[in-house]
Amino acid sequence: MTTTTLRPPVRRPAGPPRASHRSDRLWKASPLTWFGLVLGVILSLFPFYWMIVIASRTNDAANSWPPPFLPGGKLGDNIQRVLANGDANIVKGLLNSFLVSGTITVATVFFGSLAGFAFAKLRFRGKNALLLIILASMMVPIQLGVLPLYILMAKLEWLNTMPSVTVPFLIGGFGIFMMRQYAEQAVPNELIEAARVDGCSTWRVYWHVVAPALRPAAAVLGLLTFMEQWNQFFWPFVVLADPANPTVQISLRSLNTAYFADNSQIFAGTLIATLPLFVVFVLFGRQIIGGIMEGAVKS
Amino acid sequence: MSLDLHAVAPPDHGPERGARPAHRRPTSLTRLDLKYSPYLYVLPFFVIFAVFSAYPIAYTVWIALTDRSPLNATISFVGLDNFVELITDDPQFWNAVVNTFGMFLLSTVPQLLLALVLANALNRKLRAQTFFRMAIAMPIITSTAVVALIFSMIYAKEFGLVNWVLDTVGLDPIDWRANRFASWFAISTMVDWRWVGYNALIYLAAMQSISKDMYEAASLDGASRRRQFWSITVPQLRPTIIFTLIISTIGGLQLFTEPLLFTSGSGGLSGGSEGQFQTITMYLLDVMNQRFRWGYAGAVALVLFLLIALMSTVNYLLARRISSDK
Amino acid sequence: MSVPIRRRRFAAIALASVAVLATATACGDDSSDSGSSSDGPVNLVVDVFGDQGFGYDDLYKQYEAEHPNVKITERGKGLGLGDYNTRLTQQITAGSGAGDVVALEEGTIVQFYAQADKFVNLADHGANDLKGNFLPWKWEQGSTPDGKVLGLGTDVGSMAVCYRSDLFKAAGLPTDREQVGALWPTWDQFIAAGQKFAAADKKHKFVDSATNFYNVVLMQTAGQGTGYTYYDKSNKLVIGENPDVQASYNLTAKMIAAGLSNNLQSFSNEWNAGFKNGTFATIACPAWMTGVIKGQAGDAAAGKWDIAKAPGNGGNWGGSFLAVPKSSKHAKEAAELVKFLTSSKGQTEAFKKLGNLPSSPQALADPAVVDATNDYFSKAPIGKIFGTGASELKPVYLGPKNNAVRTAVENSLRAVEQGKSAEEQWQAALKNGEAAGK
Repeated sequence: MTTTTLRPPVRRPAGPPRASHRSDRLWKASPLTWFGLVLGVILSLFPFYWMIVIASRTNDAANSWPPPFLPGGKLGDNIQRVLANGDANIVKGLLNSFLVSGTITVATVFFGSLAGFAFAKLRFRGKNALLLIILASMMVPIQLGVLPLYILMAKLEWLNTMPSVTVPFLIGGFGIFMMRQYAEQAVPNELIEAARVDGCSTWRVYWHVVAPALRPAAAVLGLLTFMEQWNQFFWPFVVLADPANPTVQISLRSLNTAYFADNSQIFAGTLIATLPLFVVFVLFGRQIIGGIMEGAVKS
Repeated sequence: MSLDLHAVAPPDHGPERGARPAHRRPTSLTRLDLKYSPYLYVLPFFVIFAVFSAYPIAYTVWIALTDRSPLNATISFVGLDNFVELITDDPQFWNAVVNTFGMFLLSTVPQLLLALVLANALNRKLRAQTFFRMAIAMPIITSTAVVALIFSMIYAKEFGLVNWVLDTVGLDPIDWRANRFASWFAISTMVDWRWVGYNALIYLAAMQSISKDMYEAASLDGASRRRQFWSITVPQLRPTIIFTLIISTIGGLQLFTEPLLFTSGSGGLSGGSEGQFQTITMYLLDVMNQRFRWGYAGAVALVLFLLIALMSTVNYLLARRISSDK
Repeated sequence: MSVPIRRRRFAAIALASVAVLATATACGDDSSDSGSSSDGPVNLVVDVFGDQGFGYDDLYKQYEAEHPNVKITERGKGLGLGDYNTRLTQQITAGSGAGDVVALEEGTIVQFYAQADKFVNLADHGANDLKGNFLPWKWEQGSTPDGKVLGLGTDVGSMAVCYRSDLFKAAGLPTDREQVGALWPTWDQFIAAGQKFAAADKKHKFVDSATNFYNVVLMQTAGQGTGYTYYDKSNKLVIGENPDVQASYNLTAKMIAAGLSNNLQSFSNEWNAGFKNGTFATIACPAWMTGVIKGQAGDAAAGKWDIAKAPGNGGNWGGSFLAVPKSSKHAKEAAELVKFLTSSKGQTEAFKKLGNLPSSPQALADPAVVDATNDYFSKAPIGKIFGTGASELKPVYLGPKNNAVRTAVENSLRAVEQGKSAEEQWQAALKNGEAAGK
């Protein structure tokens, strides 16, 4: 699987190829290209825009014909109503989501880099078999074991608490795999050998040699993990029955199932729930995109 | 345990397959470190996996062989009855299989094609590269729940945006949930909206590693851009395409939240009035939570897993074959 | 040797970090852990469903004032019945996670008969003395066939038709509720009235959704006929054999064929929008529906809605019970709270709050109920409309997987609304219903 390896960390800068006059012409964007790109961007961003439109209208306006196309002046109003909505508890949901996603992110980066290092650079019996299990685990839908898992949570007395949505996800196959792929190329064997010769234990090799080299990939893994966990819906919905203690996605569900569905409030809620990731995306967009492009390559 | 045996084996037992040339005589502590710390490092995953994945799966296998249900006072062993019924006598299950694969195809093919085209455009010399990349990748920050909410309104029958557009251009509005193909289309656009940009970036990465000389040579030979795209870019990208196909397969066969939330109100698990967009995962939860046939649900879950494993294996073999072709 | 030590140390570290995580992230209230001694403060969790819950807020305050050691937390406001029931089933089966008091809906309580051993038998807490506080059929529904008292009744649905008098007027139909009721002594006449409406008003539909009316018709027909719906009283699936089911289906199909339905799925966003935009003229109206209409249609529609007698004769749709799961650590206190909330006084209070019709004959005779009018519904005498006949109702037996089978039939009707053949969909309903109830 040739292309599925990570690119070495040192690359030529992305972007158009530097080259001769002729290739400049060859790589010029045609009007059609521009049109396609702009259309793609519009389609990509429109739902966000529309989220804002609905979130800033009254509910009646949101359900009117023709549908509204411009933002109204009720955004603050709607957000206030969502924040005050006693059924949704979205503030608590945000806090819980930060806590859960943050914990999982830290654990995934740590355990993932540790195991990735082991799989990439250490030799041990059964390595390939274990790696295969990790790969296979990525194919297992959580729905498969949802019933026993629920009973297990009940026995642990974790129902309705955050450990039930945190502990099972502390480290997953993807994190290990991504770090393994990166470690294979980013950490030269000679460096490890040299450290060994100096008498470093495996742990010190990891801590002083490997971990620093993995930092770029770790940042990307962390961002992707945080986003994925923030957006978890299925499992939290099963175990978090107490609306007083939700994650943010469960708060959204509470808003939506309320019999008197209030679209402007729901959309204000989705706005609030998406905002943290939006901020993350704006701040770290380059890294995330770099990460997707490098970790293109997760199998 | 064999591991312990090795630990106390004399050093002249012969070099281990993986032993490194030692530059100085290792202390026993170092040897132990070399031998065991890899296991320690991968242990956290396997602990979590064993407790929260393997055990529930094993338990599911057991349940699938019984008639367990909260409505049954006693549980009896029924052997493979659940599987036999599922395979031979359950049109709803097969309907769900058809829907799942149908939506998988309907979303994946345009998704990957659009991603290819977008990536090709992004691979040109452009101003504001970063802006374009970020803009098309932005949908991945939304949760599936949010996507489903937004698109449910866009595809609403009465006040939906799409029907308004149809109405404006003089076409009849469509009841997006009533018609099988319309519902598949609507759900596929949700999936695609979220993933096209992501896949485009993956393709872009692969495109950037294609040698520019090939294109220059082709253009000297008078090949048009379209021609270059199909005869240089796409073949070069084949392994990457296979890779995205595998990822899409795993996700596509587990499709759940979008079609579930596409029905607003009660009865979402039915996936439409005639089950026209009920996926396998929805059927699984339908059997488990509405019909309370937990044993049977276990069988559905296992068959779903087998399907995913099968499809992934097929894709993997395909990928291997294609990359070794080159 | 150092390896085991190292391993053990690692295990210790791992355990410690898990423990730290667990404590760091344990935000749930450990309400039920506070020990079972009754002298300490007791926190009771009440699980309900529906947008406004059960209208118990004032009753909680009152109970807490009378029992200073008790604190009550309610969960589930805003949760739909389907989600609620799924979750409750998991909690009951797992023996953990459910509230100290849980609401069981009419259509789902039978499902829990099979798990009666997971619930406190309220007879052990003196419930049998309260038998006279409940309509006989309601009491019967709340008890298992072998005589355990699973739950005590909260409300009954009863039945009426809510209608938009302004739309009726514009279409040339009578608007006075007596005259409107006289318009449709039977369901066939209801459809005829609908056709008259449809001829005069092309913009609005006569009914919100066929499935709502189907449920009402079925419960009414079965109440006067076999006394059961999809399952007979021995829990045998009889969807194909019970004439009441097919008769109700056919009547509903006729309603759809006449073009009366707005085709809105109950409790969907579009249904909600339908109230706001006033796209339909009538809706099948158990007592609890009045609260839904008021909440959905909002102040703008105040005074436009009114309530008339339902076609046919009486009937019931919906209504709930309160039960105490065995997992409760405060079973005694929880049972006391159930008795308080389901007392005739408690039921009267809930009626005043949300309009849920009491299941207690005493409450039904209470002037506060009998003479109640609802301002939102043009001062309709809801106590009389819903209360009359509630006490003479014959119970309808609902089988264990009632909701799953019902969903199958509703789906078929929805397909008919979407233009499919009624006969073919009846076959589909039989097939899917059989599968769902298996």
